[in-house]
Amino acid sequence: MRRLLSYVPVLAALTLGSTPAFAQTDRDALIKEGRYVAAASDCVACHTAPGRPAYSGGIAFTLPIGTIYSTNITPDPNHGIGKYSETDFARAIRQGIRPDGSTLYPAMPFPSYARLTDHDIHALYAYFHDAVKAEPLAAPENKVSWPLSMRFPLTLWRWAFAPAPSAARNTTLHQFSDPTLTRGAYLVEGPGHCGACHSPRGISMQEKGLTAADGSSFLSGGAAIDGWVPPSLRQENRTGLGRWNEDDIVLFLKTGRNRQGESFGGMSDAIKHGTQHLSEGDLHAMAKYLLVLKPADTKQADWVYNTQTASSLHKADFSERGAKIYIDNCAACHRTDGKGYAAVFPPLAGNPVLMGKDPASLVHIIQSGATLPGMEAAPSAITMPDFRNRLTDQQVADVVTFIRHAWGNNAPAISQEDVAALKKTMPERNLSNEAVPLN
Amino acid sequence: MKHADAIVIGAGWAGSILAKELTEAGLSVIMLERGPERSTAIEGAYPDSVDELRGAIRKRLFQNLSQSTLTIRNTIDQTALPYRQLAAFLPGEGVGGAGLHWSGCHFRVSPDDLRLRSAVIEKYGEKFIPEGMNLQDYGVSYAELEPFFDKAEKVFGTSGVAYTINGKVTGNGNVFAADRSSDFPLPPMQDTFSAQTFRNACSEAGYHPYAMPAANASRPYTNTYGCQMGPCNFCGYCSGYDCYLYSKASPNVNILPALRQDPNFTLIANAHVLRVDLDSTKTKATGVTYLETLTKKEVSLSADLVILSAFQFHNVHLMLLSKIGTPYDPVSNTGTIGRNFVYQTISSSRVWLPPSKYTNQFIGAGGAGVAIDDFNCTNFDHGPLGFIGGSPVWVNQAGMKPIAAAGGAGGGGAPRWGSAYKTDLVETYKHSLGIDAHGSNMAYRDVYLDLDPTWKDAYGQPLLRMTFTWKDNDIRMNQYVVSKIAPIAKAMGATKTHLVHLNQGQPFDTRHYQTTHLGGGAVMGEDPKTSALNRYLQSWDVSNVFVIGSNAFPQGMGYNPTGAVAALAYWAAHHIRTTYLKSPGPLVKL
Amino acid sequence: MPSPDPDLHNPLRRSFVKGLLGTTSFWMLGGHALWSQALAAEAARTYSPTFLTADEYRFLDAACERILPDDHNGPGAHKLGVAEFIDRQLQTPYGHGDNWYMSGPFVEGPANLGYQLPFVPRDLYRKGITAADAYSKQQHGKLFADLPTDAQDAILTALEGGSVKLGEIPGRVFFEQLRTNTLEGAFADPIYGGNRGMGGWLMVGFPGARADFMDWVNQDGAAYPIGPVSISGETA
Repeated sequence: MRRLLSYVPVLAALTLGSTPAFAQTDRDALIKEGRYVAAASDCVACHTAPGRPAYSGGIAFTLPIGTIYSTNITPDPNHGIGKYSETDFARAIRQGIRPDGSTLYPAMPFPSYARLTDHDIHALYAYFHDAVKAEPLAAPENKVSWPLSMRFPLTLWRWAFAPAPSAARNTTLHQFSDPTLTRGAYLVEGPGHCGACHSPRGISMQEKGLTAADGSSFLSGGAAIDGWVPPSLRQENRTGLGRWNEDDIVLFLKTGRNRQGESFGGMSDAIKHGTQHLSEGDLHAMAKYLLVLKPADTKQADWVYNTQTASSLHKADFSERGAKIYIDNCAACHRTDGKGYAAVFPPLAGNPVLMGKDPASLVHIIQSGATLPGMEAAPSAITMPDFRNRLTDQQVADVVTFIRHAWGNNAPAISQEDVAALKKTMPERNLSNEAVPLN
Repeated sequence: MKHADAIVIGAGWAGSILAKELTEAGLSVIMLERGPERSTAIEGAYPDSVDELRGAIRKRLFQNLSQSTLTIRNTIDQTALPYRQLAAFLPGEGVGGAGLHWSGCHFRVSPDDLRLRSAVIEKYGEKFIPEGMNLQDYGVSYAELEPFFDKAEKVFGTSGVAYTINGKVTGNGNVFAADRSSDFPLPPMQDTFSAQTFRNACSEAGYHPYAMPAANASRPYTNTYGCQMGPCNFCGYCSGYDCYLYSKASPNVNILPALRQDPNFTLIANAHVLRVDLDSTKTKATGVTYLETLTKKEVSLSADLVILSAFQFHNVHLMLLSKIGTPYDPVSNTGTIGRNFVYQTISSSRVWLPPSKYTNQFIGAGGAGVAIDDFNCTNFDHGPLGFIGGSPVWVNQAGMKPIAAAGGAGGGGAPRWGSAYKTDLVETYKHSLGIDAHGSNMAYRDVYLDLDPTWKDAYGQPLLRMTFTWKDNDIRMNQYVVSKIAPIAKAMGATKTHLVHLNQGQPFDTRHYQTTHLGGGAVMGEDPKTSALNRYLQSWDVSNVFVIGSNAFPQGMGYNPTGAVAALAYWAAHHIRTTYLKSPGPLVKL
Repeated sequence: MPSPDPDLHNPLRRSFVKGLLGTTSFWMLGGHALWSQALAAEAARTYSPTFLTADEYRFLDAACERILPDDHNGPGAHKLGVAEFIDRQLQTPYGHGDNWYMSGPFVEGPANLGYQLPFVPRDLYRKGITAADAYSKQQHGKLFADLPTDAQDAILTALEGGSVKLGEIPGRVFFEQLRTNTLEGAFADPIYGGNRGMGGWLMVGFPGARADFMDWVNQDGAAYPIGPVSISGETA
């Protein structure tokens, strides 16, 4: 506890320093800490739907079992969590158990949140209770068909896979002797719940591993979500973070962009609502921690830049499959040398998100485009247009194959059928759900 | 009535700079823009934006004349007629203003341009100034503005190469350029083949070629405000377009992303300001009244400070409509609002290279090129020539596209249609290049702006009336500088050269594009009898109104105006922040 | 088979046609197996003018072809689909003069003070073509489109020179409108219906909507090596 507090010295110092009303100051400091934990836990991403007030829920999760909606977690007594005691609150967050004893859908990452310290839970409760505006708004009804709508199988799931909070906390906080790595482990495995997306899941949708101690499946890359593939955060040279350094990771989590690439899909939200608000110290702790995760795939040859692609394109030699489509559609921003323009237009040469087994992200971004929103430390929004009306499935397959092969990437080709099948997994982009980037 | 500490009228460069500076000072700022929001990601997205018809031809980023225009005449005895179709000049509309559709030529000023009257009198005596020319000084020196030029370049991400920094020669920049306190934030843009050919010929002729300073990023760049630019790839879609690569500086790319994060800042688009409201003494602005153009609802706001930062002549128009100051009367030569309206003398000559050489004119960047300043400003002896002013001469290959090329081909005796025209067009497009004389234009007693007695805008307000034509001094300057192009062209290996210059007696023609670099009309200076604004761009008459833009130029200089406008904006903002806000009132006491 | 779907008369956009590929009605109506065939079918179909009458369209097609004739340099206005382009443009806001100041009074003045007529582009074409054909009949006994090319050229020369007035419209104004729009139709992106097969761009060597010359900024006078691409993705 004491040690945790030492990680938010700035916040504490700011409020403790000058105000004479001491009790109120304590509370304010706690609320500030709670706001920080809420950002680290990225509560907004799931509990604030476009067009609805903050934390009033309503985001739809389309799952194989049906559609479920995130809940109202404002302190409204009827629609929100206003009636929760701190104990109720802690149980829901750490164990996924409602005050009535029923189990939350594991879309709520309680297996990760199990790790939250008592102090952080206390701060989080203070924040949600006293600083979030109560919104008397019901979340939409879940649409899960019977028998899957019954919550008791969830309880079985929880029994089988959700860790007991104290044991979980213990594991996370005692893997490393270095306090920075411990802090990093806490943030990544606990509030950050990175594994919810970046770890593969087992047959019952449980994450294969919840901590660094659980083996190399943990954070080794997840299955596609809404057509975006969460890459491995381990040290694979080609498909993981093997060629990223600590500053790359910190900058990415702070701004969504660095010399290696730019965020897209759900990660942009996670940065916008979450990681950009974390302190430099915490971001470095997370980065240091990620850098010690050994590769899951130990057989990857190192990626080596191949100059052949650029020199062929430069000579207007488009004999390679997809080369002409690349030069007519992609090279303007990503360049003939595939290196892009650092931190503005991401490199395609050696970019780990392009070389994985599943090409869904690449197909998706060509199909739908993407906007990296402005962040506090990087206010520019950067947009890639969509090419859905410009390229046929065959052309997408050709250009994806080109990009996956060029500049030494050497990832496997894909077919028109692959593209058609992948497109079916990608939700229509709904621009009204997005803030229009105004630069 | 809603109140803001400051209201900024117009969301272009000047307005965005002032809004940024004033919110930094802790003021609440409402910025009003008559046009729509603009989003590069939506309407400027690749490849939809690289569309000549929609961009430069149908003019999607420019002012909608159906709502408001001006009337134009050449002389006082004529009836001015409405400017019904966009042609000679192209004011922007929408968030970003002209800063969104500009090319990116980002110059500082020649120190003597800021004190041209004094410089001419020192060298040639007062009698050198022709009868009827209102030659004036700005009232501010280059040394005073230098920190603000420097600041603006670091916001714009300007590419270029210095000649001297703090008095030491550091690079092969413009030898005539004034000394700098630091280098350009980005290295110069690459020379196109055309520009390189011009550079070589100029060097051989003993002139002093330099890379034009360009607000087109030669590298990826993160500016002072954390805003990012992509690097320019010479796609050539600059002037008339929003840059899909985010590599041409614009308020939208370089300032507004940061400004919009400030909770003290509000931008209201589709808000056409009808007038600045004054109190009964006419010496204090109380706020502004605008029309929501989508709902036709009139809204009034109150404010302690009002910044006019619309396009040059819209600023003058608003001052006249709001009755700020005294309208200029050319007969009695009194009054200041509308006085010293100026333009620029720009003529583009054409040079054909041998058929083996392709100029690839579509490859270019709006601000990139090679220029010489040997005939600009006071860099040459005007004594025997008998005129005032000058022109840089440059090859600024900015991305010539085929509709524009086809429209301009032929003429001057050559066929403008038919098979011979086609042959000429193909050859001209593939093998020629343009050399521009981009010159100054002096102010004259009978060249001015006032309100039109007949025509009205869509909101029932009188249109602005422009009285303008070319004068002997400027025609002779233009002819002299253009005459210097012929030998350069020859040295470039020209197979044919078509020199274009103004002719004596040729009136200003509103039908052909010349330049959007209009200036003056509400000029800065040290004498309230001959200037509308003091040297801090503050209205002499209404001290809580500042008027920022090229309207402040007492005469048209040879350089493109944006650099000077941006520096003057930061200069005015600095004095508002450091002096005015502490003790509101006139910053210059007489 | 004429399509009952009026949308098919909208500007020929490959993206638009492709957008239809997923719809059942397209397959039912067209029966095409591949989008490229669908495109080819669309392009090959005779365009039916919407704003202009058949006779006006004949005039336009013939006049544009004289302004930009088919010759050794490349295709002329007819092959490039310029008349189609203009008819389509006249159905856009441009055709209605949406960006022109059209408030009166309308007063004649010196030419250098610019356009002062109370007519938007649609009016200029309707009135101008009617009067030009009447002039042609009066001078040569035939409609303009039925004249030999040298007689057509003589009429256009007279219009350009300003010696003929077409009713309320000075011949020169009509000619300039026609020339301007013809050149637009020859060199605008093919998504607007003209510049068919990017024939205009191929003729002058313009690469279209690729908009990336980073590797080719200065090739020491060599021609840029890659052919054109349209906004739609069409290449040539």
